[in-house]
Amino acid sequence: MVMSRIQKIPVVEEKKGNPLARVFDDLVRFCRSRSLFILHYCTGCGAIELPPAMTSRFDMERLGIQPMVSPRQADILLITGYVSIKTLKRVILTYEQMGSPKYVVGICSCTVNGGMYWQSYATAKKLDEYMPVDLYIAGCMPRPEAVISGLQKLMDRIKSGEADSWQDYYQNYDYYLGNQQKLFGEDWQTPTDIITEAKHYELMGEGTLGEHTRLLEQHQNPLEALEMRLGHNIKEPIE
Amino acid sequence: MTQEVTHWLDNLLKEIEGIEVRRKSSRRVRVDVPADALPALLELLQGRAGYIHLSAISCVDWIDDDEFELVYHVWSYENHSLVSAHIRIAREPGVYLSVYDLYQPAGFFERDIHEMYGIQFEGSPNMEKFILTEWDGPPPMRKEFDSEAYINEHLSWQEYNPEWLQELVAEGGGVIIPPEEQRFSQKKK
Repeated sequence: MVMSRIQKIPVVEEKKGNPLARVFDDLVRFCRSRSLFILHYCTGCGAIELPPAMTSRFDMERLGIQPMVSPRQADILLITGYVSIKTLKRVILTYEQMGSPKYVVGICSCTVNGGMYWQSYATAKKLDEYMPVDLYIAGCMPRPEAVISGLQKLMDRIKSGEADSWQDYYQNYDYYLGNQQKLFGEDWQTPTDIITEAKHYELMGEGTLGEHTRLLEQHQNPLEALEMRLGHNIKEPIE
Repeated sequence: MTQEVTHWLDNLLKEIEGIEVRRKSSRRVRVDVPADALPALLELLQGRAGYIHLSAISCVDWIDDDEFELVYHVWSYENHSLVSAHIRIAREPGVYLSVYDLYQPAGFFERDIHEMYGIQFEGSPNMEKFILTEWDGPPPMRKEFDSEAYINEHLSWQEYNPEWLQELVAEGGGVIIPPEEQRFSQKKK
C-alpha cells in the first residue's frame, strides 16, 4: 500500500557541478536496503511464520534482514497479526522510540481490517490509522515465501527512495494522534515528544499541529529524564 | 476398582438434597444443584472424596432465562474423574458466594468472571481488573453487550477490497470477500 499523503519537502536547489551528490544518496539507500534489522516484537499469531523465514529453510539473512532486540537499533517494525488495544499502546511507544528511518510492515489480514477479529471489542482494526504503514502482507497467515517477497518489495522501495512513510508520522502527527486519542482517551501521552523531534528533523508539515496536538499540550505532563542509578538501595524496601 | 469408586461416589452424592446427578461416563459426572447447596457439595467432594483440584469455573449467560449458569469443575487425582457442578443464579443482582476458602485458585477464576460478566463474588479476596486492565466499558461477555455496535462507535472499518488487493487478484492471488457476506450488520435480510 502506498501512502499518498506525504508532502514533498521543498528541496534547496542543488549546487551545480556536484554530480556525486546524487550518487552518494543512492549508495546510502542501497546500503540501507541491504542491512535491515527487524525488531523482535511480535503480536498475534503471524509471528509463527518468522522463525522459518529467519532460519535455515528460507534464511532471510541472505537478504541482509536480521532480528534485533532493541527498538533503538531496529529499522523495521513487523506487526505480525491482530493488535489488541492494550498492545497497540505498547506498539506506538515502541514505534516512537525507533530511530529514523523506520519502516512498518503489517503482516496478516488482522492488521488490514481486523481479519477474523473484525467483531472483537478488544482489537484495533486499521493499523494505518495509528502509525504510517509502509507495506501490508495480506493472508491468514502469509507463508514465509510471502513474507520474504513482501520484504523484498520493501527493499526495492527503500532503494528507490519511495519508502518514506516515517516522515508522514511527523508531517501528519495530528491525524495519528487524533486516532490514538479517540481510542485511548484525551489524556493519552507518550514519553516521546514527536513535535520537537519533527522540528529537529525539519519535518514540520501542515498536519503536524492541529486540534489534537493542542489537546495533548493541555493534558501533557512535562517529560522528565529518568533517574540513572546502579542497582537498588538495599535499605529501601522494593515495592 | 473404577466401578467401585463410581458406585461409592453416586452414594455420596445422594446425601445432598435437591441434587440431580447425571453420569456422562465412568469418569465424568454432571451434577445440578441448587445454588445454596453448592458450597456444601464442594466441601463434601473435597473433604471426603478427594476432589482437591478445582480446574475451572465457567460461566454461561442465559439471557432469556434471566439467569447465569456457573459450572465448577473439580478433579480427583485418586478417582481420576471429573465432577462438573452446575448452578443457576439470578442475573440481577448477580451475586454469589466465593469458594475461595475451599479452593484458593477460585480467586483467579472468580476475578475473571467478575470482569467478563460482572458477577460479584462475596468473600473473594480480590475483585479488581484482571486482564482487561485498560477497559472501562461494560463487562464484554454479557449477552446484552453488543460488540458490533461498540466497534462501530469506537473503531473505523476498512473494507477488505482495497486497490492493492485487486492488483494481487489480477495477478492471480488473493481473495476478495464482499462485506455483505462477512458482516452481520450488512447482511441482506
